[in-house]
Amino acid sequence: MKFIIIICSIIISANLPAQELNFKSNIGNAKKSYAAGNLEDAHFALQQSMQELDIVIGKEVLKLLPQKMGDAGIVTAEDNVTGNVSFIGATIHRSYTTPNKKVMVEIINNSPMVGALNTFLTNPLLAGMGSDGKSKVLKVQGYKSRLTKEDNSEDATKIPYKMEIPFSNALVTFTSTNSSESEMIALANTIPFDQIAKLIQ
Amino acid sequence: MQFVTRLLCLLMLFVFFTNGSSAQGFLKKLKDKANQVAEKALDKKVEEKTGIGQSGGNNNPSASQGGRPSNTMGEGLKNTAPPDVLQQITDADKAHDAGNFSDARYAIQQALLGVEIQIGQEILKSLPADVKGLPKDTLDDRVMSTRFGWANLTIQRIYQKDDKQLTVMIGNNPMYAGMMDMYFSNAYGVQSDGDNQNMKQIKVKGYKAAIKFDQGQGYSVLVPLGQSGMITLEGVNYTNEQDILAAAEVFDIDGIKKKLGEK
Repeated sequence: MKFIIIICSIIISANLPAQELNFKSNIGNAKKSYAAGNLEDAHFALQQSMQELDIVIGKEVLKLLPQKMGDAGIVTAEDNVTGNVSFIGATIHRSYTTPNKKVMVEIINNSPMVGALNTFLTNPLLAGMGSDGKSKVLKVQGYKSRLTKEDNSEDATKIPYKMEIPFSNALVTFTSTNSSESEMIALANTIPFDQIAKLIQ
Repeated sequence: MQFVTRLLCLLMLFVFFTNGSSAQGFLKKLKDKANQVAEKALDKKVEEKTGIGQSGGNNNPSASQGGRPSNTMGEGLKNTAPPDVLQQITDADKAHDAGNFSDARYAIQQALLGVEIQIGQEILKSLPADVKGLPKDTLDDRVMSTRFGWANLTIQRIYQKDDKQLTVMIGNNPMYAGMMDMYFSNAYGVQSDGDNQNMKQIKVKGYKAAIKFDQGQGYSVLVPLGQSGMITLEGVNYTNEQDILAAAEVFDIDGIKKKLGEK
């Protein structure tokens, strides 16, 4: 019977993604260390499991992002999730491209520094003071966001736009190199912010 | 005798009626005084009956000038027990299995918080009860931790006697520690401003450290520990460098470093 259980657990483990295995082994270590009174090791194992979770969450967010942004397709090689327990939490990156356009979605979550930035963005007085006439505050799917025209490009027809959508301690930055303002808003509306917010907050 | 009395009365009436203005003033004062006495007597009666002060709110400390009450009650917030670490880990595991990653993360954060608070309390327990004649003031013992991992654990202990005080802060903040590393590796930033040497490098129990002096704040000794830990000692009314360094030597820096999990 024992043998069957062991074989079964090996088969189940083999089918689990590496990230989940790491999470399980890390929380197992945390439990053991804590029970043995080894607080430093328990702490480190918990940190590791948090990092694993951040990566899992990041990958889930990537799954939620649309397969296309207008006519631009995903650059899978640039998909990236970085987990980091410190001042910056997880960073999630996705790029879309066509020969004349590059669209990027970047999400930084669980960072107290982003919290400070969000206060700035969501406070009309501060946002107004920081405005240079090239940005405006608007709502996308009910979320307050700031759209900025970054006309430092040499080619006047390829004006890059940046849209920042703050959540409580996360920030979604959405950029496009060659879009109009209305196109930016239309593209931003294809991102499922409600579902992303549920995962990252 | 009767004649003299009558004469005095007549004289007084004469003075009274010939000096009209002062007479009116006198009458007014008399009337005001009588009113005050009557009001006081009435207030006292009302207070006796109702038990509520009537003197324009001055007797009632909870009434502010605008008529709004200001708080004079409440015993403040009590320390709650740190999160149950094992329970939180179990919750995280369950949430993870159910695919509820946001909740799993929250539970892991709570478990981290619980562990950090316990580490902080252990460090506080390991600190000396007395530093060169200054007893500890446990009322100001603090263990603070944020939910952002290991980055912001701060432990505070104050020693005080009369006007001499030593504040010990043990923290784990990569940002400050990084700045200290820059300080130690930067050749031109290490010494003085030319006239006054207000910051310099020293060693405390074999650890690289920095000492600085500020007229308003007194002496500060900063001892970086490992990768992100740091001990800060702030001495008020210490006579000289030797005095504050002798206080710094009392602490078991190796033990604190080990408890912080630093190498």
